[in-house]
Amino acid sequence: MTITEPVTDDAREAAPGVVARLAHSPSLRLIVRRLLAAVPIVLGVSILTFIVLSLIPGDAAQLLLGPEATPEQIATLNRQMGLDQPPVQRYLDWLGGAVTGDLGNSLVSGQPVTSELGARFAVTGELVGLAFVISLGLAVPVALLAAYKPNRLFDRISMFVSITGLAVANYVIALLLVLLFAVQFAFFPAIGFVPISQGLGENLRAMLLPAVSIAFPLFCFYTRFLRGDLVDQLQGEDYIITARAKGIGPWQVLLRHAFRNSSFGLLTVVGLNLGTLIGATVIIEQIFALPGIGQLLLQAINTRDFVVVQACVVVFAVVAVLANLLTDLLYAVLDPRIRYGNS
Amino acid sequence: MHVRIRIRQIIALVGVIFVVAACGGGPADTSAGSEGPPQRGGSLTVLLSSGFAGSWPSGLDPATNTTGGANLSHMNAIFGGLFKLVADDDGSNARVEPEMAQGYEFADGGKTLKVTIRDGIKFSDGTPYNAEAVAFNWKRDLESTCTCAPRWPLAENGGITTEGDNTVVLKFTQPYAAVINSIVVSNANWIASPTALKKMGEEQFKIKPVGAGPFKVVSNRLSSELRLTRNENYFKDGQPYLDELIIKSVGGDQPAYQAILAGQAHVYEGMVTTPLIEQANGNAQVTVTQQPATSPYLVQLNTSRAPFDNQKAREAIYYATNAEAISKGLFKGAYPAAQTFTGPGGLFHQDTIPGYRTYDPEKAKQLVKELGGLTVNLGTIKQYVAEQVMTALQSQWEEVGIKTTIESHELNALIGNFNSGKWEAMLQTAGAWDPAAGVGVSFRFDSEAPFSGVHDKDLDKLLDDAAATIEPEQRGELYAEAGKLISDKAYAPYILAFAPANIAAKGVHGPGVDTKIPPVLVNTGILWDGVWMSK
Repeated sequence: MTITEPVTDDAREAAPGVVARLAHSPSLRLIVRRLLAAVPIVLGVSILTFIVLSLIPGDAAQLLLGPEATPEQIATLNRQMGLDQPPVQRYLDWLGGAVTGDLGNSLVSGQPVTSELGARFAVTGELVGLAFVISLGLAVPVALLAAYKPNRLFDRISMFVSITGLAVANYVIALLLVLLFAVQFAFFPAIGFVPISQGLGENLRAMLLPAVSIAFPLFCFYTRFLRGDLVDQLQGEDYIITARAKGIGPWQVLLRHAFRNSSFGLLTVVGLNLGTLIGATVIIEQIFALPGIGQLLLQAINTRDFVVVQACVVVFAVVAVLANLLTDLLYAVLDPRIRYGNS
Repeated sequence: MHVRIRIRQIIALVGVIFVVAACGGGPADTSAGSEGPPQRGGSLTVLLSSGFAGSWPSGLDPATNTTGGANLSHMNAIFGGLFKLVADDDGSNARVEPEMAQGYEFADGGKTLKVTIRDGIKFSDGTPYNAEAVAFNWKRDLESTCTCAPRWPLAENGGITTEGDNTVVLKFTQPYAAVINSIVVSNANWIASPTALKKMGEEQFKIKPVGAGPFKVVSNRLSSELRLTRNENYFKDGQPYLDELIIKSVGGDQPAYQAILAGQAHVYEGMVTTPLIEQANGNAQVTVTQQPATSPYLVQLNTSRAPFDNQKAREAIYYATNAEAISKGLFKGAYPAAQTFTGPGGLFHQDTIPGYRTYDPEKAKQLVKELGGLTVNLGTIKQYVAEQVMTALQSQWEEVGIKTTIESHELNALIGNFNSGKWEAMLQTAGAWDPAAGVGVSFRFDSEAPFSGVHDKDLDKLLDDAAATIEPEQRGELYAEAGKLISDKAYAPYILAFAPANIAAKGVHGPGVDTKIPPVLVNTGILWDGVWMSK
């Protein structure tokens, strides 16, 4: 329908119906409710971050002006940057800007924080997304195969790899991957980022090793978790016995019944893992020289650029809240019995 | 549980080290010296550690940045220099030579300096690089609070003037012979285009500064990546050799080394991790150039408060410190033990100081006993080598009964400590290529300096006289006296003369890359217009 077309009676009657249906949609109500609930969470995070940053020793003005600066120069710069204001006032000023999309200017570089974050968010977002895809994409089939015949050779190998992988830190994996796949075989670059605009293939080549560095411990964790849950379900649950009694084949029992139930637990841990992932990006972006938010956050902490730190933490909080919301929605997709908002 | 995971991580790390070692190449070929003639073209990527030179958060305007002293590579590439520090390929015979300056002359017994600028140089925006531009920059630089700002004893009125198009005149309140050497280690060496600055405004200029150096800024992501392209207006015909220079920040020595081995980068400036330097020395894929040491580590003792207001306590630290053991144990003798404020690569270096108190644990124990015990809080900056040395000092001092607590500080926390005056002992580097310049001897020992733990008028006078003396031999004698006074009064035990190494992929050549140049401050000022790559 274009705006020049006359509005028919049918359309007039249908419109309120659509709105009403949407208004009564459990998923939409869940989204709205959770988004509203997210406001105090993000506010709380921003207040807590602000308090913590205020308590950290160190002074951006001192660092900016260097060791030769006089107390008068430091006081002047603090006044120019608004750092001489009472903390509550400073927070309210920041909040006033933040709700209108203005996260302020970096104390150190003077550049707008929003533009800096925007450019870097794409890098970190891609890194985290790829890490999730790789870790889950590998963990699910490996866990299924391991649970299909527990304690056999494949299961033992997969558990050995999982346990070993859990004991190794991301940065060690990163260095090993670079040694093997960048230095020895030259398949992938050791450092640097290539934007998608310069070719998807090159972009993926640059992002694969960092993403795998983050994904590998997650893959190990998910594999162990899912395999354990599947084995528990297959060995003890009544519905599995019933399904087998009906003559359903072992693969169908595994995939249609056990895996469906186990996927709830997996989804929960995936949602909870987001915090770990964000922590990992700080180190991995540093090692691979990726210009993401993690790298920006580390630099900002080192230079006591509190405006940038505050913005990064709030962005991470918003992403975490949205990820949890997405997890809840996926529950509903996986299990039609779950109807949010009905009770 | 956590302990078990930590043990597994350590085992895994050891595994990595073995793999790294296994990946090492054949016999070393680390001979210095460029194989000419230089070839033109190519894109070179240089890596800098994000913990030091790879951080440029406040931009690259010489007068408003706060990290210029660390960002020599960026600044030299964009702005070139009025003067440059050069040396023979083996690092010897280091001297300052005019670059964009034509020359200089002192007058009025050293109280006036006239610097002549080369004719016909243009900034990359096409505007003239002349005396007026230099004076404009110097006036801005003097206002800068960066540690890289010049500290000249300028006359209050008419301290900086021009004579004609090409001569800048500095007038001092006292003779200041060290001024030319001081320019090389300060932001006064980097002349920005006043026209571009006024046109762009300071906020934009700090991101895309305009100079007359060998390269122009294409893009600049602060503390992440700086892309530069050849400046076709550069004053030297045929130079720079490279088409493109990319400066990238990287998360430390290990990833940088791997990136070079993987062919992702060509030069890493400032490697300090001794095991990696050794490994690189055994790898035919790279050239390792260990720069001549200029800035020794020392333990600054705060003489204005207890316990080090008592000379006996200071002497106990001297006798308890085994610099030779640290040199051999931690660095396999790569860096020599030092007794005074310039390393072997610096001006007026002395190997030994007469009467210097060397390691003698029995004397240290005796002094601690006489003092009725000694407790020390030792600090340093968060940096690999410094922290290693600090830990070694703690164990040495504990052996003679000195109770020692250690602390590593971020840079601004360290500055805060110094400014508060509430510190006892700090492990620092002291000295520059010229002791009068930069983070030199005055920076650590002058009564008025914020980073000094000493208030000694006799020492102040010696250092002032040395900076003012034009005749090098006389300057050397004065610095020898200053070194002796510091030693006699036990103001600060020296540890070792440390210098970083530059790692380059095979086929990359140039001054400071595969030849030695003494670090003007902590890092080498690579002369990027002379760097080239074999095809």
